[in-house]
Amino acid sequence: MASQSRKGGVFLPERRAAKAEPNILTKLTQSPIVSRGKRSACDAVSVTKKLIRSTGKAAWIAGTTFLILVVPLIIEMDREQQLNDLELQQASLLGAPPALP
Amino acid sequence: MAGLIPPPSQATAILNDAASKQQKQKEEEKVDYMNLPCPIPYEEIHREAFMSLKPELFEGLRFDFTKGLNQKFSLSHSVMMGPTEIPSQSSETIKIPTAHYEFGANFIDPELMLIGRVMTDGRVNARVKCDLTDNLTLKANAQLTNEPHMSHGMLNFDYKGKDYRGQFQLGNGALLGASYIQSVTRHLALGGEVFWAGQHRKSGIGYAARYETDKMVATGQVASTGMVVMSYVQKVSEKVSLASDFMYNYMSNDVTSSVGYDYILRQCRLRGKIDSNGCTAAYLEERLNMGLNFILSAELDHKKKDYKFGFGLTVG
Repeated sequence: MASQSRKGGVFLPERRAAKAEPNILTKLTQSPIVSRGKRSACDAVSVTKKLIRSTGKAAWIAGTTFLILVVPLIIEMDREQQLNDLELQQASLLGAPPALP
Repeated sequence: MAGLIPPPSQATAILNDAASKQQKQKEEEKVDYMNLPCPIPYEEIHREAFMSLKPELFEGLRFDFTKGLNQKFSLSHSVMMGPTEIPSQSSETIKIPTAHYEFGANFIDPELMLIGRVMTDGRVNARVKCDLTDNLTLKANAQLTNEPHMSHGMLNFDYKGKDYRGQFQLGNGALLGASYIQSVTRHLALGGEVFWAGQHRKSGIGYAARYETDKMVATGQVASTGMVVMSYVQKVSEKVSLASDFMYNYMSNDVTSSVGYDYILRQCRLRGKIDSNGCTAAYLEERLNMGLNFILSAELDHKKKDYKFGFGLTVG
């Protein structure tokens, strides 16, 4: 088609053969199954993209919330436990009244 | 089978024990209406929940220093630095960096309490609490600013009875208010309030209820301004309490609810909460030494993309 519109175009015999083949190809590509497949593939890609993005966002929010709410709590509980242990140890070392055998 | 059934004497002992326990419980359940405990003031009925859920979050640096000159008199200095939000119409928050110094003087005596604060931007805050008699307390609060119409004054008369409390309130702008709270049973207290704001020609009425046991506190409050507030605090142990609250405004139709925890450990106090607007906050007060506290404050608002972090030191 492009060669015909071009000015001074030279007719080449190979072109015809080439022209016949794209016909089949276009038929194939324009067939409803292929187009449907293409569309569904595009949809799948976009859905996966959205899914990944939203999962990432959710993970970010969950992670930062965890960092703010839970991490200090764990650290402080650990410190408290250590302090308790230390006190117990000192009490046993200094020979406090042996309550436990 | 014989091994499983306790011998008769033991069984009767158990039964007796159970019976005495039941009796005790009944005695506890029987309300001595002449000997009810005094309820807490009407404006403080949500005290436990708000203590856990609404810590003083801040952004930037804070430094507070309190020096006691003698037993009753003390001076306080505090420095605040950091971004301050400017109210704007757009949804985006605008912050500009500011720095403040605040000077304060306190006089604290069991019967008379005087607290004054002066800020570098010209704000003056004064509070007086004075016990006129054993039952009657006078409270005054004044806030003066250099902006017109932003100064406030408030005068409260609190009367504390045996199982009730009453309060009369007088404010500038012809604000008049009265509230009353009464213990109904050992655990339940009911109260009501009326107020009239002459400047805005508005009046209102409100009711509140508070149920309190050793393990939990539940409160509810309704006002004719359209506010409904409910809160619940569960004391899991001596150190841990969990709190939740629910706030609904009928006029503007906004609802918020939040849940939080409050850990009071030997070296620190940690409070955290998350609310229905997607706002997460935590507040840590760590005791480094006697009279030296380190404060960390964090607040994340994912919806508005507003993140606030602050740290501070409190000396004295």
